[in-house]
Amino acid sequence: MMCDKCGKNPATTHVKTVVNGVVKETNLCPHCAAKEGYGSFGKMSLANMLASMFGDSTQNVNITKERCKCCKSSFADIAQSGRVGCSECYETFKKELMPSLNRLHGKVQHVGKGITKSLSLQDQTKDRLKKLKEELKTAVDSEEYEKAAQLRDEIKELERKEDN
Amino acid sequence: MSSWYKTVSPDQPSVVSSRIRLARNIKAVPFPKRMSETQKCDMLSLVKGILDGATLDAVGTLKYFDIADIPEEELYAMVERHIISPDFVKKEGPRGLVISEDETLSIMLLEEDHIRIQVLLGGLALEKAYEIASAAEELLAKGVTFAFDEQLGYLTECPTNLGTGLRASVMLHLPVLESSKMVAGLADSVSKIGLTVRGMYGEGSRSRAALYQLSNQVTLGISEKAAIENLNAITTQITKREESGRNELDRSALEDAVYRALGTLKYARRISSDEMMNLISRVKLGVISGILDMVDPALPMTLLIETQPASLQRTAGRMTADDRDICRASVIRERL
Repeated sequence: MMCDKCGKNPATTHVKTVVNGVVKETNLCPHCAAKEGYGSFGKMSLANMLASMFGDSTQNVNITKERCKCCKSSFADIAQSGRVGCSECYETFKKELMPSLNRLHGKVQHVGKGITKSLSLQDQTKDRLKKLKEELKTAVDSEEYEKAAQLRDEIKELERKEDN
Repeated sequence: MSSWYKTVSPDQPSVVSSRIRLARNIKAVPFPKRMSETQKCDMLSLVKGILDGATLDAVGTLKYFDIADIPEEELYAMVERHIISPDFVKKEGPRGLVISEDETLSIMLLEEDHIRIQVLLGGLALEKAYEIASAAEELLAKGVTFAFDEQLGYLTECPTNLGTGLRASVMLHLPVLESSKMVAGLADSVSKIGLTVRGMYGEGSRSRAALYQLSNQVTLGISEKAAIENLNAITTQITKREESGRNELDRSALEDAVYRALGTLKYARRISSDEMMNLISRVKLGVISGILDMVDPALPMTLLIETQPASLQRTAGRMTADDRDICRASVIRERL
């Protein structure tokens, strides 16, 4: 079916209007639909939809004033944007998020691959430094001086950042 | 340069490529939308330190790039080659990209999530792609701790990616199913089993070159293995339908359509991107159904990718749309 307006492109939007009992049907291509103001269907973004889902669950739970310690988001921020602030938000606002996550996924239990370690970013830098120093030692011991020099520079750079 | 579109699988020629994407975030660091400039730069240098120059068996040496150092034309050409997402290019602020030499592995840093690992291979090769993505993930895990929750799995900015953070997809060439108006019905039925179909190019339901992307939607409550197996099984079913439809086509009408498309591509002086895609799709169908015998069966797909606007301009410089159509026609004439 071609567009009723331009007749050039295939019609993808079908508009039915009822005025005083008279039904009128129009078929439009995406371009003409946008021109006529029907394009906003496409702008219904995922974030908007999620926002309304999160928003729903606030009706049942007393909205917490608490803010996430890591990214400073409040639950209201998340409910408004439909976007979670950081990984810690999932813990902080678990009670508030769970009803929507249940509706979104149906089955809320991860069954895939997992990890066991958990370190903060600072600890991660420390961890990385430790690893690099071990590598440096091995490199020196096995007389790989070029590699050792590279590792030494990387360690220096990381230590400088840590001091800041 | 990319190699995914330069291979054609003889068993399942309708499957153009397989892609695995893993969404990962670093624990206790705000998601990109809420990160400060300094946090972004720190994260980029942390990841750069781990991955730049590192080697993975399957893909070779990795290289880190700052997005600001890559010319815009090249970024859009990368989008055309499916190495990075259009959203990643449009974003502002510091971003990084790690790619292997053959572009099989690409890691977007500070897209929607901190880390997006992508592996793209020609033909149906989801398991292999997942293996490579996993190896890249393990390499990263040596230096960063991923945000993870026993119940919710890998934590992502968008709650729809929670769980495995895995998006597996295949790019399918379905000219026969498309012409018999079966794709819409297909989209409807795969959605019932947690998969989704969308047009590869073009907006909304409209597809160009009869290329469709089939991917998993569910990430929570399903293992990586199960998601990939599902997708594999449905892909095989769809390609079988395409194949049997192909065999039922009126041979002489098909030959006529294929040769007309080839004729236009060989002799036209101006070809728009839209026209190119439609003609190439028919030529590709001609190669698959044994009507055309091409020395390089991957040539149609190669031309389809490499004569898109940004890819053309990358080699021939900036042009007006008209000049681009002339340049595209001449590149195609030369290669055919």
